[in-house]
Amino acid sequence: MIGGALIAYRWELRKLIAQKRNWLGIAAASLIPVIFLISIQISKVTIHPPDGPYDTPLGLNLRQTGLALDLVVFKLIGVIGPTLIAALVAGDIVAGEDMGGTLKTILVRSVRRGEVLAGKALALLTYLVVALVVYAVAGVLVGVIAWGFHPLINLSGHQISALHALGLTVVALALYALPVVAIASFGLLLSVVTRHSVAAIAGTLLYALALQGLSALSPIASVHPYLLINQLTAWHDLFQTPMAGDAIVRCLWVSAAFALPPLVAAWVVFTRRDVTT
Amino acid sequence: MKVLSRQARLPHEAPIEARGLVKRYRDVPAVDGVDLTVQPGDIYGFLGPNGAGKTTTLRMFLGLVRPDAGSVRLFGREAAKDGIGALQGVAGFIEEPRLYPYLNGRENLQLLAAFDRGGQGEAAIDEVLEMVELRDRGGDRVSEYSQGMRQRLGIASCLVRQPRLLLLDEPANGVDPAGLRYMRELLGRLSDEGITILLSSHLLAEVQQVCTRVAMISRGRIVYEGGMDELTRAAGRRYRLEAADIDRAARVCRSLPTVDDVRSDHGELSFRVDDDDGLEALVAALVDARVGIRALIPETDSLERLFFELTDEPVAVTA
Repeated sequence: MIGGALIAYRWELRKLIAQKRNWLGIAAASLIPVIFLISIQISKVTIHPPDGPYDTPLGLNLRQTGLALDLVVFKLIGVIGPTLIAALVAGDIVAGEDMGGTLKTILVRSVRRGEVLAGKALALLTYLVVALVVYAVAGVLVGVIAWGFHPLINLSGHQISALHALGLTVVALALYALPVVAIASFGLLLSVVTRHSVAAIAGTLLYALALQGLSALSPIASVHPYLLINQLTAWHDLFQTPMAGDAIVRCLWVSAAFALPPLVAAWVVFTRRDVTT
Repeated sequence: MKVLSRQARLPHEAPIEARGLVKRYRDVPAVDGVDLTVQPGDIYGFLGPNGAGKTTTLRMFLGLVRPDAGSVRLFGREAAKDGIGALQGVAGFIEEPRLYPYLNGRENLQLLAAFDRGGQGEAAIDEVLEMVELRDRGGDRVSEYSQGMRQRLGIASCLVRQPRLLLLDEPANGVDPAGLRYMRELLGRLSDEGITILLSSHLLAEVQQVCTRVAMISRGRIVYEGGMDELTRAAGRRYRLEAADIDRAARVCRSLPTVDDVRSDHGELSFRVDDDDGLEALVAALVDARVGIRALIPETDSLERLFFELTDEPVAVTA
């Protein structure tokens, strides 16, 4: 099983690399913090009293340390930014091959369907991680160039060293990736079921927007902490003193709870369905 | 490399044995009880009009579609039980070869060779690219290939798997006359190397020229299965005769037991003879009766007529 999945994974990566549009997602991820930094530099929004980006968690650190840039932009890009990048790849990764007819070419070789899907899921995960890492590296680089590598004031008002803040940013990135991966796993399911790239991409975006809509409904406020969208801010716990862990633990299991059912459903459908025109 | 005779290279088990194969889409039967056996070494024609069930049958052979009933055995392995293991030694494409347009030809073959898990190296890829005359274009993206080149790369993608059974669905689609001739020669060479070939087509002429055995399918059912020679004999051979005295010629034709279905039209005779002996006997009888023979022309559409009769299609003439 593992051998076939690794073969599929290796070639999925090569296919992702060979397609120009996938580079657009990576380019967009690297440009988001750059564009944000430029807009901050030229904007007239004031830090006193805090407004706009300064009025977000850790926003008061903008212009004080370059390490704040990534963390503030996490909040500002909300659900749409990462969902768009996840949906573009997840929605197309199976449906694109189905529509192009190449799925039937690879499914009559010696790698099992489950292995093919596992390879695709791993490649999708890799793409998302690379996009987030590119985003983070670009953000830290331009942030530090513009505002320096200085200590950061955390959400509790305590100062933490620049190096410590950098380490926490890496962990925050990993936590932020979890709900994004869960959204992507739903996109993968839609890609398998709809067999149409555009439908799968649009469906993934609608799914994320629907989840966001749920998180704004006050009658169900008691379940808000367990909604997937709310896990996008779980990393805030890292920047508390003392560091809280509840939201982080919840992010782990809620993200898994949202990611696994679509993955299992995708596997069941993909391994059993007829491959027709 | 040890050279084996073609016979020695042939497998002992039937490359394809389908029994009672049924596939329905929304209760409409696409394939309805297909029984079919392809013997080792056959170049087997799978003939039928568009929508007759050829492609669905091939999809079931390759495990892309699950039959609603019946079974498929490939070299004795049952697809339903052995899954992808049943495809060991089997390669093919459905409808047309679909490859990755953004990868080059060589990369496509490398990908598929990796998916075959057979450890075929670059030498094997070079060999198949050479065989399909694409070695010089192997570094070009498939999106830049012509239809004929894609068909050839599709064949290469099958050959890199080193198959014993090759399933080709309409391989002549979109191929120019030179490409068709090349394709026929290639299939002949592959057959000589001991590869069993199933060639699905809606073009009778294509199948007639290369296949040794044939099955005809119509509305999901096999309406004929047997040797190409038997089919040709069953169709009989029709000739047109232009003669100085057409009435006397007609009397001679009708007097011979080996000649039947004699028709007179526009000063010409048309008739059917069973075999070469019957034809020779007719010519001798015409000479004896002092009928001046101006032309004796074989009609090429007799097999076609039989095909259309068997498949209940309206009679039409194909190129």
